[in-house]
Amino acid sequence: MPYQIQIDGMVEISEMLTKLEEQAPSIAAQALYDGAGIMSDEIRKGAATIKTAPFKYAREGTRLPSPEEKEIVMGVTAGIAKFDKEGTEVNTSVGYRNSGYAMLNGKQKPIPVIVNAINSGTSFMQKQPFVRKAANSGGPKAMQAMKDKIEKAVEAITKQ
Amino acid sequence: MPSEYEALVAALKLLSIPFVEYGWKARPEGAYGVVQLDFEAGTMNGDGGKADRAWEGSVDVFYPKLTNRGDIIDAVEETLTTILGNSWSLNSTQYETGTGLFHVEWVFQCQDVEAEPEPKTEGGEGNAVSDPD
Repeated sequence: MPYQIQIDGMVEISEMLTKLEEQAPSIAAQALYDGAGIMSDEIRKGAATIKTAPFKYAREGTRLPSPEEKEIVMGVTAGIAKFDKEGTEVNTSVGYRNSGYAMLNGKQKPIPVIVNAINSGTSFMQKQPFVRKAANSGGPKAMQAMKDKIEKAVEAITKQ
Repeated sequence: MPSEYEALVAALKLLSIPFVEYGWKARPEGAYGVVQLDFEAGTMNGDGGKADRAWEGSVDVFYPKLTNRGDIIDAVEETLTTILGNSWSLNSTQYETGTGLFHVEWVFQCQDVEAEPEPKTEGGEGNAVSDPD
């Protein structure tokens, strides 16, 4: 006697999986945007803690950044780069790479160079690694926020 | 101060180029180095407090153009490997147009390594009470 087995709902599961696959890049991009925003805020918070001292030529030792330099760094935000989408993979970077130029002591200087001098130090400037510190403390927060966002979006699709 | 950092500073100061912590008051001629602790990188909780603390720090080497840089860089990296294992990385290499110095930056993470407890002597009584008199 032949047995007959019938399973219901396979079409629905297949449809749901197709929908999930279609929407995966957009969900990932939304989550990444949230995470990048948290990182940008953390870097800005770090920039507020830069120690300064009035400008003097340091021919001998190392100096602290001048208040004008800090003002320039605080005047721009750590920007979020254009999203690089490849299949279901989305990448971006947060930083001062395209921050433009600022006038410092009567000269036009690129802002990334000023940030780099403060962050990594030079032979004449004391190093204050605020970007590295922000990446260290903000990374887990950003990852948690992205995880929450993805879980919520996937739940909305699967529980219809 | 974490014990690994203290060991690293002591080892770097034995190298051929002068090393100092947290920047120079008067810059020396030729190649020189700076080592410093930057911030606390992470902790784990346990026993009602911080159990394992990790610090992040950096080593900077500055050298003018005509320097035998290979020897300096190899010596610093060997020192880092000897003391910290592989918990370090090359963070950046830069050139300062104003001073004509090259700048190499390494980032490392270190922790406080406690001395191993002495092995217990065998044959001791479990709850030995000291004799009064």
